[in-house]
Amino acid sequence: MDNLSALMEGFATVAQPMYLLYALFGVFIGTAVGVLPGIGPAMTIALLLPLTYSLDATAAIIVFAGIYYGGMYGGSTTSILLNTPGESASIVTALEGHKMARLGRGAAALATAAIGSFVAGTIATVLLTLVAPVMAKWAVQLGEPDYFALMIVAFITVGALLGKSVSRGMVALALGLFLGLMGTDTLTGQQRFTFGVPNLADGLSVVIVAVGLFAVGEALYVASRLRHGPVHVIPVEKGWRSWMKPEDWRRSWKPWLRGTAIGFPVGTIPAGGADVATFLSYATERKLAGKHKDQFGKGAIEGVAGPESANNAAASGVLVPLLTLGLPTTATAAIIIVAFQSYGIQPGPMLFQTQSSLVWALIASLYVGNLMLIVLNLPLVGMWVKVLQIPRHYLYAGILLFGALGSYALNFSPIDVLILLVIGVVGFFMRRYGYPVAPMVVGMILGPMAEDRLRRSLTISQGDLSYLVTSPFAATAYVSILVIVGLGLWLKSREKRANAELSRLGEEIREESQSQEVN
Amino acid sequence: MSPSSVGPPGESPAPGGASPQVATGRRADPRGQDPVTEEVPLTGGTGPSGAAAAHTTAAPRRRIGEYVVAGVTVALGVFVIVDAGTIVVPGSAGTMGPRAFPYLVGGLLLISGVLVLIGLLRGKFGEEDDGEDVDPNVRTDWKTVALLGVIFVAHVYTINLAGWPVAATLLFGGSAIVLGARPWWRAIALAVVLALVIQLVFGGLLGLSLPPGPFLEGVSLFRG
Repeated sequence: MDNLSALMEGFATVAQPMYLLYALFGVFIGTAVGVLPGIGPAMTIALLLPLTYSLDATAAIIVFAGIYYGGMYGGSTTSILLNTPGESASIVTALEGHKMARLGRGAAALATAAIGSFVAGTIATVLLTLVAPVMAKWAVQLGEPDYFALMIVAFITVGALLGKSVSRGMVALALGLFLGLMGTDTLTGQQRFTFGVPNLADGLSVVIVAVGLFAVGEALYVASRLRHGPVHVIPVEKGWRSWMKPEDWRRSWKPWLRGTAIGFPVGTIPAGGADVATFLSYATERKLAGKHKDQFGKGAIEGVAGPESANNAAASGVLVPLLTLGLPTTATAAIIIVAFQSYGIQPGPMLFQTQSSLVWALIASLYVGNLMLIVLNLPLVGMWVKVLQIPRHYLYAGILLFGALGSYALNFSPIDVLILLVIGVVGFFMRRYGYPVAPMVVGMILGPMAEDRLRRSLTISQGDLSYLVTSPFAATAYVSILVIVGLGLWLKSREKRANAELSRLGEEIREESQSQEVN
Repeated sequence: MSPSSVGPPGESPAPGGASPQVATGRRADPRGQDPVTEEVPLTGGTGPSGAAAAHTTAAPRRRIGEYVVAGVTVALGVFVIVDAGTIVVPGSAGTMGPRAFPYLVGGLLLISGVLVLIGLLRGKFGEEDDGEDVDPNVRTDWKTVALLGVIFVAHVYTINLAGWPVAATLLFGGSAIVLGARPWWRAIALAVVLALVIQLVFGGLLGLSLPPGPFLEGVSLFRG
């Protein structure tokens, strides 16, 4: 039970008033930025990185835990109250939640999403607490070729599954790998692809690439096709009584638990992240809805409760491979790794030994953050609604400014800000032509690690390539690529079909209301 | 996921539509005015027709852009492979020197770029990103993008020249005006306030060494 005592120590750290304030600050700012339309969890963390530059490691990690959960949480508010779906993981929530809001049940939708996020987040954090140390212990025994195999698995699943087109995902991954090559080769000290620019000798900063792709690229892309005119936010009724009626509770609690059960395992494997989890949960709820089945597509509360829980559970699941193997499986996870690295902390199997107190403080702050979120957010909905109405020209100008500030504050070199713009332009074209940006960030972070593992493996085996595949674990990993990608692509195709179906449903509803208008 | 789930505005129910759902929605509206129906029913709506239209009728210019991007990827792949050959391999390098991985990366760029090109030739075009604030029914506004780029570059060059607060005012105010903030002086005023607040919080309180510039040099509050 030494893990339990370690966790208690983590709680003791987080319970210090100063750290509690940091946690509160993290969840608050995370939610506030996550609520802003067009800003997903990955961009939230990327934009808020500079906030932590001057904090000590523990405080920074606590703030990040808050931002991570808060950002996830803010996204659902956006999709329920705003008229278009935004961040991919909460699109399913948007479908049902938005319908509910239009029926005047926005408060119930927000409440079931909030409570579901809390339930799922708490259970998933418990699971993380139990699974991660075991996994880390096991991971210590893995050899160099095993890690290389794991990274190949991550490359291929991330490239193939984190986008709509496999070939474009691979292009994005390869671009990321290329950016990862830039700089001085760690083993031989040779400069590679630095084009004689001194700023590139230490390699390109992942922070600049992440902020460039997510913040600047996104702002430029939205600017190119900005929706002008007033912002329509669906009003939410005030007062506590209307939040959740007894029937809403009855219909929500099972989807919360089922969503958690689906979300956590999906989050732990590299299979496309929270998207897949939310979709699976939605499909499950629809199948099990029984007499409420015909409500789906028209504002079924199960369709908000399940996917939203799955989303949050997956977010915690993602932390398992991240903390124990150092393997980021989503763009958000990749940026968290960057945040760790900026403090000289390398996530991986040794993390639980070398940085034990830090890790447990992180896990404890996840519990605390989750609790704060539900206390903070249900009463503050009115404020988030105001945030949603922020004029878009100021919103995107602000994103550009904070992106520029973040990369300037890295080294206080204007050249970095110029590089940021170049990466932003690349991100703009990628978005415009349907290339996913997430594999690029993951590739850039994992690329150098993979090269390192590969070269060390081959040094051990004195050039014998068969060494890479002969360990049982590595062999299993390579075989599992086929299974995971096959399964993932099958899920994606089902997702597409279901989406088409949902769109048709939406169309029908609209036609109905139109014909009624005519009468 | 339902990328163009936004229908042409013309198809939306007119304001004040009288479906039963709408009636509930309006009753719940505390502000009374501004009926819920006024917004276009964007979520989950329209799907198939809208999506199909967006793809089959992709403007020829867009298609050229697709080929250019894929072509650049292939070219970059070739460049990486060629340039990898010029990386110096010191005698101390082990079994696998500094060139091998770049060759693999170049190969991946080349192959994936060619795969996208083949897809394009077979009519598989990319799906544009969607987002809350993206209007799928308007043409790309290149002028705005270019202006934002110019403002950004100007920001980069003013940081050391006039200090971070001035550069930040330029970036925020300029971008907001380009994106449609009116009246312009309000955007500038907001930008000045925001820049000074950030300089104060990050430079003065958190200790990031943002250069205050010649105008604020004397104010110790702003110095990082």
